[in-house]
Amino acid sequence: MPTFKLDGKEIPFEAGDTIIRAAWRQGIEIPHYCWHPGLSVAANCRMCLVEILPPPNQRAMMLDILEWDAAKNDYVPVKKPKLQPACQMSAVENMEVLSDSSKNVEGARHAVQEFLLLNHPVDCPICDQAGECKLQDYWLDHMKSQKRRTEEPVHKPKAEVFGPTIVYDAERCVMCTRCVRFMAEVAKDPVLDMRQRGNLNEIFVSPGRELDGKYTMMVDHVCPVGALTTTDFRFKARVWFLKTAASVCQGCATGCNAHLDYDPRFNKAYRYRPRDNADVNKFWMCDDGMLSYKRAHDGRVTEPAVQGGRTVSTASAFEAAKKLLEGAPSGSLAVVFSAQHSLEDNWALRELAGILGATRSYWSGLAEGYADDILMNKDKNPNTLGVKKLKEDAQPFAKLAADVASGAVTHAIALGGATPGDATSDADALRPLKLVTIAAHDGALVRAAGVVLPAASWAEASGSYVNAKGTRQLSEKALEPLGSSRPAWFQLAQLAQVLGHKPTWGKVDTTPGRLPARAALAEIRTHLTGAGNPSHPDAKAADAT
Amino acid sequence: MESIDLELEEGELELPAEPMHLNMGPSHPAMHGTVRMVLELTGETIVKADVQIGYLHRGFEKMCERGTWAQVFPYADRLNYVSPMLNNVGYALAVEKLCGLAVPERCQWYRMMLGELARISDHLTCTGAMAMELGAFTPFLWFVKAREMVWDILEEETGARLTHSFGRIGGMAAPPTAGFKEMVQLALPRILAIVEEGEKMLLKNRIFIDRLEGVGVISGADALSLSWTGPCLRASGVAYDVRKAHPYLKYDEVDFDVPIGKAGDNMDRFLVRLIEIRQSIRILLQSSDRMADDGPVNCDDPRYVLPDKHAVYTTIEATIQHFKLIMEGHKIPQGEVYSYTEGGNGELGFYLVSDGSGTPYRVRIRPPCFSIVGGLQYMLPGSMLADIVPTFGSLNMIGGECDH
Repeated sequence: MPTFKLDGKEIPFEAGDTIIRAAWRQGIEIPHYCWHPGLSVAANCRMCLVEILPPPNQRAMMLDILEWDAAKNDYVPVKKPKLQPACQMSAVENMEVLSDSSKNVEGARHAVQEFLLLNHPVDCPICDQAGECKLQDYWLDHMKSQKRRTEEPVHKPKAEVFGPTIVYDAERCVMCTRCVRFMAEVAKDPVLDMRQRGNLNEIFVSPGRELDGKYTMMVDHVCPVGALTTTDFRFKARVWFLKTAASVCQGCATGCNAHLDYDPRFNKAYRYRPRDNADVNKFWMCDDGMLSYKRAHDGRVTEPAVQGGRTVSTASAFEAAKKLLEGAPSGSLAVVFSAQHSLEDNWALRELAGILGATRSYWSGLAEGYADDILMNKDKNPNTLGVKKLKEDAQPFAKLAADVASGAVTHAIALGGATPGDATSDADALRPLKLVTIAAHDGALVRAAGVVLPAASWAEASGSYVNAKGTRQLSEKALEPLGSSRPAWFQLAQLAQVLGHKPTWGKVDTTPGRLPARAALAEIRTHLTGAGNPSHPDAKAADAT
Repeated sequence: MESIDLELEEGELELPAEPMHLNMGPSHPAMHGTVRMVLELTGETIVKADVQIGYLHRGFEKMCERGTWAQVFPYADRLNYVSPMLNNVGYALAVEKLCGLAVPERCQWYRMMLGELARISDHLTCTGAMAMELGAFTPFLWFVKAREMVWDILEEETGARLTHSFGRIGGMAAPPTAGFKEMVQLALPRILAIVEEGEKMLLKNRIFIDRLEGVGVISGADALSLSWTGPCLRASGVAYDVRKAHPYLKYDEVDFDVPIGKAGDNMDRFLVRLIEIRQSIRILLQSSDRMADDGPVNCDDPRYVLPDKHAVYTTIEATIQHFKLIMEGHKIPQGEVYSYTEGGNGELGFYLVSDGSGTPYRVRIRPPCFSIVGGLQYMLPGSMLADIVPTFGSLNMIGGECDH
């Protein structure tokens, strides 16, 4: 692979790479605002200017400029090399580039930063971007001083509503046009553009339109400053109090990688941010996915309940489950897997079915929905492929409803609440069933259940999910389990215990009230990944566990 | 009626041979701090003394690992709480050593002056309390009256009498007030007069002298092997003072002497402290002449020093600077450092490790009185129970720094 030198360090590059991209691949950041690895090059912020040394025996292109001389108290003429934007210059073999090591680059960064802050309002205390703002970071890295201008800054519109999800603050904007480019290039809906010139420059929405569609919240995340904020996250939390977990979006079978930001003090999730993964979602997420962090709290099952939704203690719920399932003929005992739950949870259910001798297997999940060719998959379950590979002969939900109606299935243990149809009518179809459901979210299987055991959601327990491409991905735990919920694989182990069996995932300590041990989860994972296990899902990506 | 022991000669009286165990402290009016001693006595003579510390342990070092670098200052105040300014400056110097930062000259003089004031307050408290614990209440009140003058100055400068939290990385919280030098110059002669008056009361008092002289003796070699520093080591004849041996701030530019004792007993420790008050006054008077009346007190490095508050409210640059330093903390360069200064009780060291983030990775203190208290168990056996009070008092154990 050809290389060039950046501050004396050899940087390999591929044909067509720009300097900034080659450096970015090596984990070296050349300061920038407008460049984004997933967008076209605009080269308008000028923050990434670098000095490129002339080839041997050639002169550098020099510019005549005036420089302030404090000693003479006047401007003096000097020469400076012409700097180049690293985001637009293609890398050339053996080229020598100076970034951090060049005085001229240092001066340029200082000047660009001063320029960008000329009209910037004193907003950090009320700005949601504070704490993750490039203007703040680069000020301390590259400017470190007051601007020279003392006049009143230019004022521009603030808190302008762009659409149902986005609010724009023109005063904070550095006109990098990342949002404009994102809407045009990725969302394929060129609804944003720039108007006016110079310091009156601002971003605006096409007349007669508003910023809407399926990919609007991404403009907040491509914005390097606090100009674009989402109505959802605006003024909700300060980012330095948030911790983050590497999560996987549960909104559809694409399985976009995401940062789940949560506040450990309140055990509350606040937002999703896209997490870069070139194989899955690149740098992006859709609005539905980004808002799906709310399912960590909304529509949850957090307390055990018996018939009719009456909340009971965990111990009596297990007692009731025992009573319900006792004497069930194994021929008419069914297990229902869930495409909404992790591989670990489904694996535990498959083991339990084996112990109990249940012969009938079904799977359930949400119905198909909107799809596009950007990110959104029509399958609205995160783990359909995983469930299908784990239990290849599992029947769809429609078959379960039919078998219940015909009386072939009388007892069932189900994972997850979701069913493809309307929750009320699906629940009615399951009424004849003696059903124990272990679920994180409400749904027909929860409503029809004789006993409901609360399960931890994807945000509260780490788990693996297989997306539509067959990639198995790990989603990390962020929150502590809400209410009395515990990971479903743990609840299933306890259920096995209550029914008089020893769970095969032996390291589970089923002492009541005890939190599940990591060791048991690790043990389950060995079954999921272990060689020689014929049913382990065909994980394409490196094993993240 | 006849007394039953009438026929016994005094010499025949048989006393039990078992040594008596006595608990002294942790809360005892004559104990110079919250500390417990389990004593083994034969009669009134100490056979063994088990000194148990830790009653003021609050996990100071661990607490420092969860705030920012600047948030350590209030904790440092509460180390040796009789001379908090010395701890503040000691910690600031340690962080600055890690950053390779040098504060402006005016600040160095200012830090020295505040530090010497704190040293006077430290020595006044120690010697006054020592006399009080031996029953001499008046000198204590006089010394505290002198200490009040010091504290009035410190209050005027910092806004707080005791826990100033006045040190900053790269400077001080505020420049000297306009009347600082005048206050110091007016107060010093009066403090000296009080010290001399108190001294006269004590050093002509036979009881006081008898309880100090030849009691609690430790040789210079023993003190060194116990890694003693400060006035207690100097009283044993070893002239080690960090200010002379490894000068920092401007200590190499002022004239002062390092007093040493000969016997290493309580009296020497008492006298060394009183002489050091006079040396501190000498340093103060010279510094007062040398310190500029204007000029910057803080470094001019926005990575370490907070901007002017008015600018924070009116300009974005200062807002960003303030935000970065307060919310994210000073990004101290990766590395480790041991920095040491002369505290009230001796060498006050800070060992710091930075991982480059805004939070200290490790803060470890070398409190001078920790090793000094460690020597107590070797000094006490053989002396009388009542000797504990002056001996322990002369060591000046401060729980806040000892228990870490």
